[in-house]
Order: sequence, then C-alpha cells, then structure tokens
Amino acid sequence: MTIAGFIVKNALRNKRRALLCILSVAVSLFLLVSLLVALREITLPPEDVGAAARIIVRNKVSLASPLPARQRAVLERIPGVEAVTPFTFYGGKFRDEDFPKFAQFAVDPKEFMRIVVEAKMQVDQLDAFLKDQRACIVGKITADKYGLKIGDRLNFIGTLWPCDLELKMVGTYQGTIDDRNLFFNHKYFDEAMGNLGQVGTWWVKARSIDDMPDVLDRINRAFANTSAEVRAETERAFQMSMVSMWGNIKILVRSICSVVVFTLLLVSASTMSMAIRERFRELAVLKAIGFQRREIFGFILAESFGLAAVGALLGIGGAWAFFTHISISKLTDGIFVAFEVTPQIMGVAGTVAAALGIVSALAPAIAMARMSVVDGLKTLD
Amino acid sequence: MPVENIVSIRQLTKLYRQGEIDVTALNGISLDIPRGEFLALMGPSGSGKSTLLHIIAGVDRPTEGECRVQGQDVAQLSESQLADWRNQNVGFVFQSFNLIPVLTAFENVELPLLLTRLNRRERRTQALTALDLVGLADRAHHTPRQLSGGQEQRVAIARALVTDPTLIVADEPTGNLDSNSAAEVLGILQALSRTAAKTVIMVTHDPKAAAFASRVIHLEKGELLPTEERRP
Ligand SMILES: Nc1ncnc2c1ncn2[C@@H]1O[C@H](COP(=O)(O)OP(=O)(O)OP(=O)(O)O)[C@@H](O)[C@H]1O
Ligand SMILES: [Mg+2]
Repeated sequence: MTIAGFIVKNALRNKRRALLCILSVAVSLFLLVSLLVALREITLPPEDVGAAARIIVRNKVSLASPLPARQRAVLERIPGVEAVTPFTFYGGKFRDEDFPKFAQFAVDPKEFMRIVVEAKMQVDQLDAFLKDQRACIVGKITADKYGLKIGDRLNFIGTLWPCDLELKMVGTYQGTIDDRNLFFNHKYFDEAMGNLGQVGTWWVKARSIDDMPDVLDRINRAFANTSAEVRAETERAFQMSMVSMWGNIKILVRSICSVVVFTLLLVSASTMSMAIRERFRELAVLKAIGFQRREIFGFILAESFGLAAVGALLGIGGAWAFFTHISISKLTDGIFVAFEVTPQIMGVAGTVAAALGIVSALAPAIAMARMSVVDGLKTLD
Repeated sequence: MPVENIVSIRQLTKLYRQGEIDVTALNGISLDIPRGEFLALMGPSGSGKSTLLHIIAGVDRPTEGECRVQGQDVAQLSESQLADWRNQNVGFVFQSFNLIPVLTAFENVELPLLLTRLNRRERRTQALTALDLVGLADRAHHTPRQLSGGQEQRVAIARALVTDPTLIVADEPTGNLDSNSAAEVLGILQALSRTAAKTVIMVTHDPKAAAFASRVIHLEKGELLPTEERRP
C-alpha cells in the first residue's frame, strides 16, 4: 500500500457518496462550461473568414435612418474599395409567424457574391438569383428548419418597412458564419417601396485588410458635410455594437454562473465535512500512530481535490466532447451557430474545480488538524 | 544488575478546567515501570486510568510533574516530534479496535510503517511477521468487516507491535470481547512482555484480565492506592 493508494481508498469508502459528489461536480461544471461558452459566443461573434475586409456603412444619425442610393457611385470610386452593395435589413414576418424569426436582407446579387466570397452556391442557383428580380437565396440552416425547397413562394409581411414581399426561392447557400439569413434583390425592394432611392446600409469590401483603416477613413470623409453623413465601421465592430444589446443577458448569464459555482461549493463542502466528521476517530488513530497534522491535512485535501478533479474531468471533458460532436445550431434551433469550448474556458472551469476541491476541504481539514488525539478518540462512531 | 525502568513518573498531576471548577484527574502520581513488565491499571470509572495512559503514550500532556519514557521527558517534545516519537516508541490498542475499515488486515498493520524509511518489500515482510505473531497470517487480505471482534483486536495488536515499539498501551482491550477472544488477546499481550520484553500497560476493569498481568496497580480519584499485586 502507498499513501496515494490509502487516499484513493478513503475517497471511495462510501462509493455512492463519492459517485454523487463526482456527478454533482461533473454536471455543474458541464453547465458552467456551457454557460461560459454561450457567454463568449454572444459577446464575441467568432471570426468570419470574409469579415476582416468588410465594412458596414450606416447613417451617422442612427442605424434606423436610411441612406440615399446615390451614395453608391461615390463609394465605388473611393480608392481601395473593391465592391459595394446596398444592404438593407427588411425584417419581415415569414408567413403566419408572429414575429420575424430570421433576417432578410436586400442586396445587389452580383456584388453580394463578390463580397460574401465564402458563401457557397450551386452555379445554376446563382444564375437564377442573378437573373430573377424576385429571386431569393436562403441559408441552409433556415431552409432546413422550414423545409424550404427551390421554387417555393415565400411571403413576408413588412414590420420595419411598409411593404409586403413575395419572394421566389431559387437556391440555398452555406459556408458563411451565419447560414440563417435570406438575401434577395434590392431592386425588388425598391420597386415594392415605390422607388424611394433609399438603402438601409452599404456593405463594402476593401481590396485588402491592410487598406481597411484608410478605406474607413476615406468613406467617412467622402460624405462629411453632406445631407447624409455616414459612419463606416468594420463588419466586426458593427457586429459588436449589435451584440452590446445583449448586455442584460450577459449579466443574467454571469449571475447564473455564480449561482452554479456557489451551490456547488455548498454541496461539496457539506459532502466533505460529512465525510470527515464520521471519520474523526479514525483520523485520531492515525495521529496516535504517528501521522503528523500536516499529513492528515494533506490526506483530506488530496481526497477532496481528487474527487473534484475527477468530476471536473468528466464535466469539462464531457462538455468539450458534446459540443464538439453535436450540431449546436440544430440543438438550439439556430440561436447559436458556433459553440466552441475554448482552452481558456476549460481552464477557467478547471480552476473553479480546483478551488472548489480545496475550499470545501479546508474547514474539516483544519478542524481535524486541530483536534487532539484524546478528543478524537472520544468521539463516538 | 538494576532493572531498567522504561517509564518513570514523578509527581504527575493532571487538572481539567471545567468552567469554574478544576477537575483533578491525576493527583501527584509517582510510578516506575520496568522493561518487560505487563502492568494492569485498575480502578473505578473516572479514577484517571485513561488519562495516565494517554500521558505515558504521549497523546496528552501533564499539568505538573514529569513523565519520562526511556529517559525522554515526553512533555518536552513538540507536537510534531511527539508524533514521530509515538510512531517509533508506542503501540496503541483500543477498546473498540479502531482499524481502518477500508483497509485489509495487512494494510492496517502496514499503515504505521508508511511513516518509516522501510521500502515496500521490507514493509511487507514486517507486516506479515506481525500478523503471523498474532496468528492471523491467513487473514491478511480480509477487511475488518470480515473478521470477528477477537480477530480485529489481534490485528490491532499486530498494528501496535509492527514498528517494534518499546511500549504497548492498551485501554480496555478486552472490553468488547467475549471471554475466549479476551483470553487470546491477553495471552498475546502477556507473551509480548515475557518473550519480546515489551513493556505493556493495560487499563482494565476486569480482574480476570488483570490476572494475566505481572503487576496490578489501582487508581482511585487520581491517586495510586498502596495495594499492589505482583506475580512472577
Ligand atoms: N477532557 C476532559 N475535560 C474535563 N474532564 C475530563 C476530561 N477528560 C477526563 N476528564 C475527567 O478526568 C477524570 C479521569 O478521566 P479518565 O478518562 O482518565 O477516567 P477513567 O479512569 O479512564 O474512567 P473509565 O474507566 O470510565 O474510562 C474524570 O473525572 C473525567 O471526568
Ligand atoms: Mg477510560
């Protein structure tokens, strides 16, 4: 027998309790990891291959204020700009749904394909998209979710704009960071709106990522002191500003995380103190035999730490395996597209588990180290 | 040749402070215990038997007076030194056996050896020898639950003597045993004192148990009675 073997035997002496303790740590850490990943995903949309060179140009006044269509010609002439498309969020209710459940954008199909280079489509479908003014393409996630097929008529009721649309689905795309959106021809939108010559925002692609700062600057200056001043920002920054709307949810998720950790601490602390209390006598015997206080202290700490570690391995490893192998977008009905368990998150969860193992053993370990052999022997079994 | 005293106690007093009043557990005890003696400590409940045993064994400290074991004033040792000292010099046997339930008989006996410098093989040999000495070599891999009370107590004795200590202390070792098992256990303790020259100090209420000892002393209200029985 070795000291390590002795500690393992002690930890497993009450198999059911050890198992329950490990499971509660595992489940809580699984939950914690899930929450941390969710928190990360909503605060930090994952890097999108094409996004780095993309710019969103919106009205300086507010996102809701439209921009004049005539800005396009100016934008296209700005050095460093490779492609420009109008990019108008339509935000319609699909069929009889009571609120918009996926986004629809009006774009210039030809330019769109030059800007969103990562979108993969079949050539014939792309052709149809380019040709037919009423055509639309739908992200694979949404198409699958609604079981949409090529040729389907898709009816939308405007919520932001006073126009209803009937679109014809001509294709699906995939490969973008968010394969949930619908894109349709801006010309149809203009027509439906009565050719007001307005766009929501501009979507611009810079020639190279290195040019980005200059291009942003040039765009902003190009419209300075005009009736529609703009704010150009990277797509990424634009997404971040959208994400800041999630602020309250962040606070909510953070507080749930704290509650999970706190509850877990209570559970494991009471498990540990129970496990030690019923062993006072034995530990007193160990002391009598010649084990030092610090050794007894170490036994208890190692036992608690070990249980927490096994639970952590199961919970964190389980979360990693689970989220790596399932399709999160299916599971969450498209709310999350990516759900990456990063090493950093695993590190945080692991640290929580380690701290937990130590903190929950501290009180009983100190009580035991302080107890005299004689007092310990007097405690009843 | 003068007898070598393993334990030498002078004017030993132990007070317990209980709120306002002091309880005198031991009151000026002086006692010498020579090597190889099997001493039985008798007396009514609350007379201070366990207290005296604990001080000799280095798990409790006297309020006043001196307790030397092999010349070492035990009270002078620090907590940590005492732990080492106990490991090397004292073997404990308790009324309720106090084996570790998750360990086998063999592992229980091996436990004190984990604190020594012995390697795995040496530990194994020594633990098996100790088990053999109490007649339980064939039960080495049984857990305490699979043993009878008498067997458990014999394993406890094996654990007490495995480090080859000079002193074995036993607080009512037969208190939980039937008379047959008690006789076995007492026989082993007696043999240890006679053939291995271990000094055995045993607290007991039972005159039949005390009959195995080479000397019986009586405590009452923390003081030694002059009556003393010796046997060859
Ligand atoms: N921790 C303590 N606090 C206060 N008084 C104590 C404490 N331990 C022992 N005593 C008192 O010291 C006296 C001697 O106790 P001790 O346990 O030595 O008796 P004993 O002879 O072993 O009795 P028993 O045969 O019942 O085991 C008793 O009066 C007891 O109440
Ligand atoms: Mg007693």
